[in-house]
Amino acid sequence: MTLRIRLLLIFTVAVAAAVGVVEWSVTLNTREAFERTETQRVNALVAQFQQEYDRRKQEIVQAVTRIAESPEATDIAISASPADYYRVAERLAATNGLELLELVDGDGVIISSAEWPARFGYKEDWLTGDTDWKSLGAFLKREELQDKVTLSLVAVAVTTAGDRKLYVVGGQQLDSQFLSSLVLPEGMRALLYRNLDSGFDASQLLTAGSTPPSHALRSLIEQVLREKRPLTATLGQGAAAEVFHAQPLPGYRDNLLGVFLIGSSRKELVELESSLLRVGVFVAAAGILLSILLSWWATARVTRPVRNLAESAAKVAAGNWNTTVADTPSSDEIGLLARAFNRMTGQLVDQRERLVQAERVAAWRELARRLAHELKNPLFPLQITVENMQRAREAFPDQFDEVFRESSQTLLAEISNLKQIIGRFSDFAKMPPPDMQTVDFNQLASSTLKLFEAQLAQARIRPRIELDPHLRPVQADPEQMTRALRNLLLNAIDAMPEGGELTVRTMAIPGGVRLEVSDTGQGLTPEECARLFTPYYTTKTHGTGLGLAIVQSVVSDHNGRISVESAPGKGATFRIELG
Amino acid sequence: MKPISSPPSARNKARSPVHCGAGALVRGRPIAARACVLLLLSAAALCETRPRYGGTLRVQIRESVTTPEPPQTGPLAELTSAFTVSQWDPGRRAVYSADDNAPGGRPFLDTVEVQMGRPLRDQSIDLNLGRADLVELDPGDPQRPQSGRRVWSSAPVRLLALVFSPRVDDARIREALALSVDRTSIHTVLMQRQGEIAAGLLPQWLSGYSFVFQTATDVSKARALASAASGSRTLSLGVADPANRRIADRIALNARDAGLTVIPSAIPNPDVRLLEARIVFLDPALALASVAAALGLPQPSRADSPEALYLAERGLLEGYRVIPLLHLPDVYGVSPRVRGGPGITPGGEWRFESLWVEGRP
Repeated sequence: MTLRIRLLLIFTVAVAAAVGVVEWSVTLNTREAFERTETQRVNALVAQFQQEYDRRKQEIVQAVTRIAESPEATDIAISASPADYYRVAERLAATNGLELLELVDGDGVIISSAEWPARFGYKEDWLTGDTDWKSLGAFLKREELQDKVTLSLVAVAVTTAGDRKLYVVGGQQLDSQFLSSLVLPEGMRALLYRNLDSGFDASQLLTAGSTPPSHALRSLIEQVLREKRPLTATLGQGAAAEVFHAQPLPGYRDNLLGVFLIGSSRKELVELESSLLRVGVFVAAAGILLSILLSWWATARVTRPVRNLAESAAKVAAGNWNTTVADTPSSDEIGLLARAFNRMTGQLVDQRERLVQAERVAAWRELARRLAHELKNPLFPLQITVENMQRAREAFPDQFDEVFRESSQTLLAEISNLKQIIGRFSDFAKMPPPDMQTVDFNQLASSTLKLFEAQLAQARIRPRIELDPHLRPVQADPEQMTRALRNLLLNAIDAMPEGGELTVRTMAIPGGVRLEVSDTGQGLTPEECARLFTPYYTTKTHGTGLGLAIVQSVVSDHNGRISVESAPGKGATFRIELG
Repeated sequence: MKPISSPPSARNKARSPVHCGAGALVRGRPIAARACVLLLLSAAALCETRPRYGGTLRVQIRESVTTPEPPQTGPLAELTSAFTVSQWDPGRRAVYSADDNAPGGRPFLDTVEVQMGRPLRDQSIDLNLGRADLVELDPGDPQRPQSGRRVWSSAPVRLLALVFSPRVDDARIREALALSVDRTSIHTVLMQRQGEIAAGLLPQWLSGYSFVFQTATDVSKARALASAASGSRTLSLGVADPANRRIADRIALNARDAGLTVIPSAIPNPDVRLLEARIVFLDPALALASVAAALGLPQPSRADSPEALYLAERGLLEGYRVIPLLHLPDVYGVSPRVRGGPGITPGGEWRFESLWVEGRP
């Protein structure tokens, strides 16, 4: 991963994290604010309900009192024939805005009932106690109607005429219609649970609108009925979640007859949060995109000198020492580094040139030493021979012919030796480019080794050949490769003056061949291994030091690789790999 | 049996000249002036009480007679003794014109216009607004006295009874319902004491032995019977006439005390029906047979004596297939402009030939 990508990622992650933190913070604050508002709304609605509830109670008390104080009520109370009035309650209820109205005589017997006209003559025993109905006002009551049981808000007024009494019991049902009359803000709803029977009954859960989630509310309602105090709970998940405030509604005997529930949907909050999240994601995406662009530009500015430095260093590593970094005008660390790099490469070039010069001089000296050494060896016999011929002509003229003949042979031999030496130098100097052909290395190794059989036998060296039958032919110059193998064989023979074993081995490698020549000679030190392929370097007392250099040159011209593996006293293995 | 009331205003007005005349003699004022006043009062009284020909009597009834031809029985058929049908709109309206050749002579009225299918409440309103001259009244509607308004009632000629469907085969259920119904409350309150409590099929005034049948409620026994019953204790109660709905509701309430659930409804084939049967014959045996037929009961054996009739009727009541509740009269409200009459016989028949109308409708 490049520095630029790394910087880019760091910038991007930093921006995304910053946006995330801001988003989380905004969402958290919004939620807290919303929940504060929500609590205020619920409290306001509970207060509104209480106000509405009290107003309804007051209206009912007024209506019932109005009926009880009417002359008609007095007539009914003193009437000797109450049956004449059995339909009065319906009319009085209608004219006084009551849903429920019963006229009951002093013994608790129903004279007329608006909600259940057929109930005349039945008794309402609960009325005839000593309850102070006037001070009690309106209260909740479980009301049994003809076709159902309901929860009602009723008040009782008493008409007294002499020793006769008439109870006027009137009220309204607490039902869906009652809930509909409550003005609720958007997203809120009111529910009423009528606790008319023992145990929870889902059908008694009323709402003004949609079907209430009775199963979810059950535990809340049951808890309120058990603890007889207001409770708040959140039901549901996500956008369907709803906060319910439950208010117990007691009857006049402290029995809990109802639970009023105000539900506030969290949909608005969830939508707000979703909206914030969408905005946040959009802002984050835009921020990240912008940060990527800015980071791209900034990292480009930051990393361009570094990249230039890296490229220049790579060029230097590749051998192009004459490399400089474009002049960086900045005075920061990068500028200092660039200038230091340029100074370093300049010094490297200078040092290399000096080194090359020195090596060139050393090479010439080595060449001169070698040439002198190589040429001195044959020249000395030539000089001796010529001097012998001169001395024989002067001192022994009669033997001069014989001496001349023998000296001529020696001269010719040494001259031939000189020519051979000069030829080797000439061969190294004019190494031709390889003429690539398909070469079977098994055959090449066998035929070349066969040429050395006599020489090996004379040197008491056991030849050994290990050929890979799966070896595939490769493209190579057979003549140059033969020369290279011959040089390796000669080198191995020279390494075993006391005899030994010489192994030629071929081996198939992926995409090419491997040719190994191993000897059981004295081996090489690591330093010798390192300098082994240097021209004119030799560990022998004779030779030009060009053999292995020629081998390396041939292998290099074939885009191959040559290596040596050796340890002192354990022989050496030269390995050529061609692809 | 409630006596048939005569038109009180007509009676009072008919008596007034005699009263005035007697008063004038006692006080001894001057003869001429007294005679003049007397003559004027007499003339005025005569003008008011003297029958006059012409006019239309506007009658409204609940029943809708939908037969293509005018009926041959019932009140409408009774009109044809003095009137002839001049217009017949089935289920809605009928017009009867005076028959000049009627056996008793031409009736005073030119026409009788009958509007059918009119609800009781609307009839009462129309009577009060002067849009009708003769309307049916709900016996249970408390009658508030109004100026000039009269009420004509017949004897109790309508039997109100509960009739069980054959599928309610457990007699204990039927008996439990019979014992739970509080007829007294229905009679006293809902019917405002109109008619009489019934335990038999024929009214007391017709049979003479109706009081023998038991009418008292016994809720505890009814509850025991209902709890011992094997079948369903829920019964649907069919109420064909909306005017009887309050009675049905009361029966349902009483039945609940006995542990029965009675649901008043208008379904076509209920478990028990609240029916009315009219007594159309003054002969008790014929009346019993006609009532039994109207209620879907088996025909009673022919009875030639009161004892046999009693046994026949008791036979019909055994098993509580039918539970008689009340015998009700026909009650009519009469406009002040209607004179003569009464136009209703004790048997509930219409007798309009002696009626006439005053003023313009």
